[in-house]
This record gives sequence, C-alpha cells and structure tokens, in this order.
Amino acid sequence: MQKYTLVITEKPDAARRIAVALDRNHKPAKMSLSGVPYYAAQRDRRIVVVPALGHLYTVVGETNKRDFYPIFSFKWMPRFMAERGAARIRIWLDSISRLAKGADSFVDACDYDVEGSIIGYSIMRYACGNKEHLSKRMKYSTLTEEELEKSYAELLPNLDFGQVEAGKARHEVDWLFGINISRALTIAARNVSGRYEMLSTGRVQGPVLMFLGAREASIKCFVPTPYWEMRARVEINGRTYEAEHERTIETKKEAETLFNECLKKTGCVEKVASAEYLQSPPFPFDLGTLQNEAYRLFRYTPKRTMDIAQRLYLDALISYPRTSSQKLPPTINYRAILLNLNRFQSYKSLTAELLALPDLKPREGAKDDPAHPAIYPTGRMPERTLTMSEEKVLDLVIRRFMAVFSLPAVIQIMKARIKVGSHMFQLTGRKTLTAGWQKFYKPYVHTEEVLLPPLHEEEKVKVRKVLMLAKFTQPPNRYNPASLLRKMEEVNIGTKSTRAEILQILYDRKYVKNERIEMTDLGFEVLETLKDYCPAIVSVKLTRELEEKMESIQAGRETRENVLEDAVNVLKPALEQLRINEKSVGERLSSTTVKAKLEEKIVGSCPTCKTGRLIILRSKKTGKQFIGCSNYFKGRCNTSFALPQKSHVSATGKKCKCCGWPTVQVRARGKHMWELCFNAECPAKKRRKQVGMQGVPQTG
Amino acid sequence: MCRKQAERLGYCKLHAEAYQSIIENYSVWKKALGVSWKEYLSEVIKNSLTGEWAKEVAEHLAKEGDKNNVKIY
Repeated sequence: MQKYTLVITEKPDAARRIAVALDRNHKPAKMSLSGVPYYAAQRDRRIVVVPALGHLYTVVGETNKRDFYPIFSFKWMPRFMAERGAARIRIWLDSISRLAKGADSFVDACDYDVEGSIIGYSIMRYACGNKEHLSKRMKYSTLTEEELEKSYAELLPNLDFGQVEAGKARHEVDWLFGINISRALTIAARNVSGRYEMLSTGRVQGPVLMFLGAREASIKCFVPTPYWEMRARVEINGRTYEAEHERTIETKKEAETLFNECLKKTGCVEKVASAEYLQSPPFPFDLGTLQNEAYRLFRYTPKRTMDIAQRLYLDALISYPRTSSQKLPPTINYRAILLNLNRFQSYKSLTAELLALPDLKPREGAKDDPAHPAIYPTGRMPERTLTMSEEKVLDLVIRRFMAVFSLPAVIQIMKARIKVGSHMFQLTGRKTLTAGWQKFYKPYVHTEEVLLPPLHEEEKVKVRKVLMLAKFTQPPNRYNPASLLRKMEEVNIGTKSTRAEILQILYDRKYVKNERIEMTDLGFEVLETLKDYCPAIVSVKLTRELEEKMESIQAGRETRENVLEDAVNVLKPALEQLRINEKSVGERLSSTTVKAKLEEKIVGSCPTCKTGRLIILRSKKTGKQFIGCSNYFKGRCNTSFALPQKSHVSATGKKCKCCGWPTVQVRARGKHMWELCFNAECPAKKRRKQVGMQGVPQTG
Repeated sequence: MCRKQAERLGYCKLHAEAYQSIIENYSVWKKALGVSWKEYLSEVIKNSLTGEWAKEVAEHLAKEGDKNNVKIY
C-alpha cells in the first residue's frame, strides 16, 4: 500500500480545517477507525490528518500506592491508565498507532505553544513509535486555508524541543507539588477525622491563596475612619453645577467651620484653565487583556472567555488566542483583513475609513510572544450561527482590531477655580473634541462628558447650596476573576493558559466563593497551615523563580533536570515538616472541613415552620438537588423548593431584596454565577413574568 | 472568640491583626469626632464598612469594659 504523510492535530475541528486546506480540491475524505475520525487528503502525495483530544499522555507516579508521600519518581503514561473516565483515549491512541504504521513521514500540526508541543511530541514518541526526531512541525496562528497551506509549504524541519522540554518540566514540577502537598494535607485530615475529604494545593495555587488571603485579611480587619467632603452647588446661566472643595477634611470641627464660612456667600471665578490631551488607541488584545475586557463588559469569567475564544479560533474567525503578544506584524496583511471585514454591513463604513488611510500602522504594546501575534480577526464569515456570547467576543475582537489602526482621541479638560468666602472649590469639565479610535471601539468605550458653560475670570456665580458630606474610608476591593488574573500576570506566576483554570480549582475546592472573590474559612485554614509549616509552598518569590527557570529551559539556558532538582529541594523539607506535625495539621484542617461543609448547605431559617433550617439536599431516589426543611426528618415540616440541576448551589447568607427570603448562589462550570431567590411567590419573579407575557402574541 | 489557638493578647493571629487595626485607628476617630474609647467601639460595631474580624474584636472589647483593660503596643 502507498505510504502517506501523517499529520497530527490537537483537536478534531483543527484536523478537519487542516485537511480541507491541504487537499488539492479542498474536499478531503472523512474516514473513521474504531470511531476515531480522520481525514485523507490528496496533494502532491497522500496526507492523513488525525486529531488528538488535547493531552493523551500525562505524568503519573511510578508506584500505584495512593496513601503515600513523598513521591518523587514518575513517568509519562497514556491518560486512560491514570484517570477515570478517560477510557476513550485507549481507542484513540490505538487508532493513531495503527495509522502511524502506514506513514513514512510525520508532521506535528498541534497548536504552536508549550502545551501543543507536548501533545504532538508525546504522540510522535509514544503512539507513533519514536518518530519525534523525524517529525516536521507546522506553525500557524489562524486556521484559514491560506495560512495553513503556507505553513505546510514551509514546514519547520524539527519539533521545537525547547518548548517540549519546558512543557515537560512544567507538567512534572506541577505534578510533584500537587500530588505531594495535596496528599500530605488530605492524609493528615483523614487520619484525624476518619473521613476522606480532598484537600489540595499546587505550585501556583499556594501563592494565589497567599495574596487572596492577604486581601481578605485586610478587608476583615478593616476599620473605617471618618472624613468630610464639601461641595458647592453653583448656578451658571440658569443651570446648576457641583463644585468640589479642593481637599478632604479630617475633622468634623473644621468641616463645620468651613461650611458656616461658605453659607450665604457668592462665588467668584478665580481662574479658568483648559488643556487638551491625546488619548492613544488601545493595544491589540493578548489573552489576558481580552479576558479582562470581556469581564469588564460582559461579566464573562476568564475561563468562559478562553473557551469562547478557542471556539472562534477553531472556526477560523480569530487568530490563536493563547498569546501574550500585543503586536501585530505586517505579515498578517492588515489590508486584506480589513477588506474581508468590509463585507460585514456593521463594519462597512468603519473599515472603509481605515482602508482610505495611506498607511496602516497599528499601535502596539510592549508584550511580545515569539510563537504568535496578538489576537486579531480573520475577517471570515462564520459558517454556522454563533451563540450570543460568541458574537459578543468576536465583535469585541474586531472592534479592537480596527481601533488600534486609528488616530488618538483628543480630549479637552476644563477646570474652573471658584472662590466661596475664603475657600476654593473646583469645577471640572471633560469634552471629547475628536473621537479618533473611540469611534471604532464603540460601544466598548465609555466616556463621561461633562460640559461646562463658558466662564470668565472674576465672574460672579450664585451659590445655591453648600453640602457637607460625612464619609468613611472604604475597605480594599475584593479581587474579581479578571483582577486576580491581572495580579497573577503582574507577579508572573502561572501561564496564560493555566491561570483561569487555577482560579476554577480554588472555587471547586471551596477555598474561595462568590464572584467578588471571598476566601472561605477552609481557604484560610489551608493557607495558615501552609504558612506555618511550609512557607516556601506559598511563597510568591519562590514560585516566580521556578517559573523563570522553566522559561529559561525554552530558551536553552536551563535544563529540565536542574529545575526538577530545585523543585524537589523545595518540596523535601516542606513535606518533612508536614509529616512531623501531621496530627496538629490534621486537627486544624479536619474541624474546618466539617464546619465548611455544613455551613455551605444551610441556606437560612424555614419561612413555613419558622423553627427548622433550610438545607441544600440531594434526593437519594432521583439524585436531584433541592432545598428542604431540617424539620422534615422530625416529621414536622415538608417544605421544599426546586433548584437548578447540573450546577453548584451554595448559600449566600444574603436575603432577597424584594421578598426577604434567603438566596442561593448558582454556579454552572465555566459560566456566569447568579444569585437565585427560590421563593416562587417572589414579587420580582411575578413582575418579570408579566413583562415576558406582554411580549407574547395573544391567541384565540 | 474563635476556635483557633490564642497567640497574642488572647487573640488568634488573624483576630490580633484586627485588634491592632482597632487600636491604630482610634487616634483618627478621636481627632475627627472627639469620641471616647467606648463611643468609638460602638461606632465601629455599627458601621457596615467595618470588617468581620474587626467587628468581633470591637464587640469583645466593648463587653470587656473600659480602655484600661486594653494594652496598646
């Protein structure tokens, strides 16, 4: 039988796109081997494109013992041998191995980054039988036919072994930290309570808990202090404006004196000044800024944005999203993308304006990524109906792309100093003179225009009212998913691909709760235990140093073996301390886990019997979750309420603003969290129902 | 106040931080409003911006009695 080239991709969608691009007629044959799809394309020779399902191999311990630590010896194994529910991987690997036997050349076409390189490498090495040194590499940033064809024509001669080594080291170090510390904590708690409760921490989780804990402590220890602000409502040309006193006032006595001195006085404009400044266009999106922006605008969690961007990439609508670059090289062909976008009615006039410019030059940020440019749209038409959230993210990427080529906005700031008695107040106005890039980024840019009337120095103004506002200093803001990601990026821990997942793990482990991230008692106890017995595990500095060393592997300045040795040297003493103090560690953790489990399920008091407590329960018969009264077990109350299924429901401790019933928080994996009032008779629900009914056409 | 082991001044490590914060901010309140220690604690307890642990410590101090019982360090 004729030999062929075997192309390995990361996901099935990518395999289809690559096969379509590489086939001479763009119509490859879709085939299947034991249920595993693959494509046969004909070019100058036969090409078989087979997808992986993300990672097919993973790190596992050399021994199978589960109740055991420390464990420092490991190996790479197929995922089905290490994880429950990964049985499909066995068939997948078997099919790839069979296809590899008929191939005489190999191409790794997985995403060009650390994770993609590991996926491709391990398949070439283990499933294809040591073909890693024979394999060539495709490098592309979009799944458009033109780029894929170009990438295949200009294959890199080798796999990127720097990326492979860095990726292997990252997986192995993370495994060493995760398995050892998690086992130490879980075993300690179980030995005291006799119950198994998974307690985990990881190389990056620890430091993240550290700065979440520091923020939480500063909020919980916060004592507000009083201060005063003075305002003067002045009338100019029949309209009222609010001028602010130039400083905050620290004592009530001084505030009252100032207030009395301003009463019944006329204001006099002392000075009017205006200045114009240029507001530059934003930088192109890297993954972090896209996640931040999607959270700011749509409240999408970073993980949700990542998932949406990944789907848009697989549909060839945007470029590869896992990038830290803020640069758009001319090779992506700005003009061709804008011409493509020009076919969309909603971008027609805007792209026409940009296409009329003699020279297209994007504003770029400092961050760079050797593997991929910043995120940009391909300008292709969607081949399927996009979901609302996909449409929103795509529109955001397109408008951002257009904005970076535009001119700066020109903003005018006007300040007027008004003297009332002997005190100085200030009026501030803001006016956009030229919208520039803001026009392209609408509606995602919000500018508050405060227009002031023409004012002249020594002009008298009537003071209608003087306001003395008693205020208190505010506690620090809680992190939200986007600001936490920014913080992780700022201190350089985790990678652009893993940061969102780490936050999800903290939620899953119940170390944090709520959208405005609040640390739970359990989170605090795990953190305090780690701080007391093995501070190195939660040290941001140490984690960053390890991160930098792993980055050095990619550049060839460090070896994987050295980094692993460093990791073991950090772990050994930490695990020793946990072992020595196992009893006290266990006591601390087990009492908190029991308390946390119970508290999370208690929603509030029962509105029917008034004596029972409403608890989140799961029916033994149907497996469904619901809210029931604790008095049911005493045969005194059978109040129950339905809950959304396939989601995590927890008590909020808050009451519904409308009916006063307790509320619960519902969180479906990777989706936006929401607060739910489970009272079917809640007036807010009835109102919503009525509004909905008005839109329904009447029948009969 | 909490089930954790007391480490400083009868408070666990976390509540001791809250205690420190209460002590430090009294001077600001005294200067701003001329309030007594007792009045200060009462204001802090009823303020919705006060942190959970600070509130618990303030309630404990208010119950405990006058400022003579408080060690300022």
